[in-house]
Amino acid sequence: MSATAVPVPPRSITPVVVRLKLALLLSGLRRSSGRRAAYLSSAVVALLFGVAQLWGFVLLRDLPHIASVAVLGATVLALGWAVMPLFFPGGDETLDPTRLAMLPLRPGPLVRALLAASLVGIGPVFTVLLLVGCVVAVADGAAACAVAVLAVLLALLGCVALARAVAATNIRLLSSRKGRDLAVLSGLVVAVGAQLVNLGAQHLGQAGLGQLDPVADVLRWVPPASAVGAVDSAAHGSYGAAAAQLALAAAAVAVLLGVWARSLTRLMTAPDSSTLQPIDAAGRGRGRTRGRLRMLPAGRTGTVMERSLRYIWRDPKTKAAWATALAVGLLVPLVNAAQGTGSPYIACFAAGMLGVQMYNQFGQDSSAFWMVALTISSPRDAWLELRGRALALLLITLPYATLVTVVTMAVRGDWARLPEVLGLSFALLGAMLATGAWTSARFPYSIPQEGFKNVMPGQAGLAWISVFGGMVAAVVLCAPVVALAVWVRLGTAGGAVSAVLLPAGAVYGAAITWLGLRLAAPRTAARLPEILDAVSKG
Amino acid sequence: MATAALRIEGLWKRFGGHTAVAGIDLELPAGKFIGLVGPNGAGKTTTLSMVTGLLRPDEGTVEVAGHDVWRDPVAVKARIGVLPEGLRLFERLSGRELLSYSGRLRGLPGDEADRRATQLLDVLDLAGAQHKLVVDYSTGMRKKIGLAAALLHNPEVLFLDEPFEGVDPVSAQTIRGVLERYTASGATVVFSSHVMELVESLCDWVAVMAAGRIRAHGPLAEVRGQAPTLQQAFLRLVGAQGRDAGSDLDWLGGGTR
Repeated sequence: MSATAVPVPPRSITPVVVRLKLALLLSGLRRSSGRRAAYLSSAVVALLFGVAQLWGFVLLRDLPHIASVAVLGATVLALGWAVMPLFFPGGDETLDPTRLAMLPLRPGPLVRALLAASLVGIGPVFTVLLLVGCVVAVADGAAACAVAVLAVLLALLGCVALARAVAATNIRLLSSRKGRDLAVLSGLVVAVGAQLVNLGAQHLGQAGLGQLDPVADVLRWVPPASAVGAVDSAAHGSYGAAAAQLALAAAAVAVLLGVWARSLTRLMTAPDSSTLQPIDAAGRGRGRTRGRLRMLPAGRTGTVMERSLRYIWRDPKTKAAWATALAVGLLVPLVNAAQGTGSPYIACFAAGMLGVQMYNQFGQDSSAFWMVALTISSPRDAWLELRGRALALLLITLPYATLVTVVTMAVRGDWARLPEVLGLSFALLGAMLATGAWTSARFPYSIPQEGFKNVMPGQAGLAWISVFGGMVAAVVLCAPVVALAVWVRLGTAGGAVSAVLLPAGAVYGAAITWLGLRLAAPRTAARLPEILDAVSKG
Repeated sequence: MATAALRIEGLWKRFGGHTAVAGIDLELPAGKFIGLVGPNGAGKTTTLSMVTGLLRPDEGTVEVAGHDVWRDPVAVKARIGVLPEGLRLFERLSGRELLSYSGRLRGLPGDEADRRATQLLDVLDLAGAQHKLVVDYSTGMRKKIGLAAALLHNPEVLFLDEPFEGVDPVSAQTIRGVLERYTASGATVVFSSHVMELVESLCDWVAVMAAGRIRAHGPLAEVRGQAPTLQQAFLRLVGAQGRDAGSDLDWLGGGTR
């Protein structure tokens, strides 16, 4: 080849990009057997699930409200496609078009090529299976079947284009620090979402599928679920509606592809500015928060509280831990109470979940703990530091645990036992803060700043002792209050004596917290270099 | 002579089988701009961590301005400012919030901490970014905000671990100006670096470290001796002279093939 020959670009880059996607997929699998196993097993599970769902729809064709279920299924599927790239930005290498920015490509061919590449993988196959299930459930007659073929194609393209458009408009965010912060929170959304789906399914199980009809009546006109709606319309002979719904689905695909192409062009020609912000605007925002935090006490206590509270909101790991604790701490007692099962003492669950946030306090600082270590020169400094952190926690946990307990007991309609359960909650919260402070000083461990792990490799044992040992100790520390509660119950003394448990639990909780912090302070002051070493591995 | 800014006796630190610091004895004069130089892995960071109370030594004593670091932490921690290398800051605070937090933890009254923070942010050219989170700062900006946090309580001795590493020339000049003004007032700066030109142009006193030991220390001219530059003297001291790649890689460059 002569040195001056300029390579002629191929007429269509689609085959090249599809091959690139396949190559990336295969080489990813070749890299480790663990990854291969994970990929294969998830593929098998997805396919089995897809086939089972398809089979289910075939069997349930004659169910009265099946059309609503099918439309809803398509909507949930589309939602999944829209949300996926936000939470798993690193999941698909071909998804990041900025990697192709150095190549001389025009947006049109690039969009076609990337769209084709997006149709390769388990996700699209799974989607096709689900969509086929949805249309099979509603397709009656030749016309409906013809519409169904078109509907599956449009819905699939709609899903994929939606995911790509969302990813491309957000890719600067997704590859930036803020995007990684967001990804850390995704586990929480999945956890809470699963709880809500569970609740919804239980509700449907009791109330019947007819509940879905009003929602489905709207959704059958919203693309890409409108494609499934079109099949249903065609099956009922409303060909005009069917045509309109198909046209809606097609228009949505066109609009999404247009949005995608436009953001691709912008993406490949503009610099990253996702974390740049106008200085004065940022200043105003921060000024307001500061105003509210000014109500905190002066001195070290207020300073420590202020930073702790800011971190709950701003540090993604801390935020995820708090949000999970708040959500699960509320959901578990409430669901139990709503079902009328279980003990009333489950209301103490919130206090336990929130108390865990006191554990591994210094690990939450990561190696920035040196700034704290340099300002602790006596057990008194350590006491002020720990007390500040405990107070910041109490500012949220005390009202929240009270609220959850009151609401749980209200749902149960068991007002008589409220003081007793509230007292136990306070005692447990106090014991958790006490053991949390002590284990923070004695068994600190590093929390990795990125990813979903909460413990560094090699420190799992330490973390286990710290959290589980601490929790067992906390429960044991509650023994006097529990014993009092049991004695009250057995003595059949009734509400009057039961009411004593509220002040008793509160006083006990406060006393045990004070004692725990007092014991933890000298340990913290004496072990500063060791704590710094333990928390700096993340 | 006045009390030494820093007195180290028989300082040792081992990590498993590896000896990072192998018996250091050193006395650093007060009021000087002192450079601790050495190749990577010489033990500079380990030494500075032990001196500032962030790492417990296996053996030996360290005194800052006449106070033992481990027996009298109250006196020592109030007198020192530290900018460590490889440790995070509280990066989810804005630059201003970090200074305010740091100053208040050091026991400064709130208004005074804010006043000093404003001045430091101005001098270090960070006023425009004061409300941005530190996590979004560049390397140079992080070094500057770290330096500001270390200076806020007006320490007697300032320990800086690689303060110019990864810093652009403009920020480096700013940092330099602040440090020169600070030492002119009689305070002591101890900083580690492996950039000899920098040390030579900034310091009036140097200590050369290699393989966990002090190879030479004293006024700059004394350590440099007959060598034309500190770089040459340093290479001779750490025994890295004559290792020149002239005869190998003879194919490199020239454009023949």
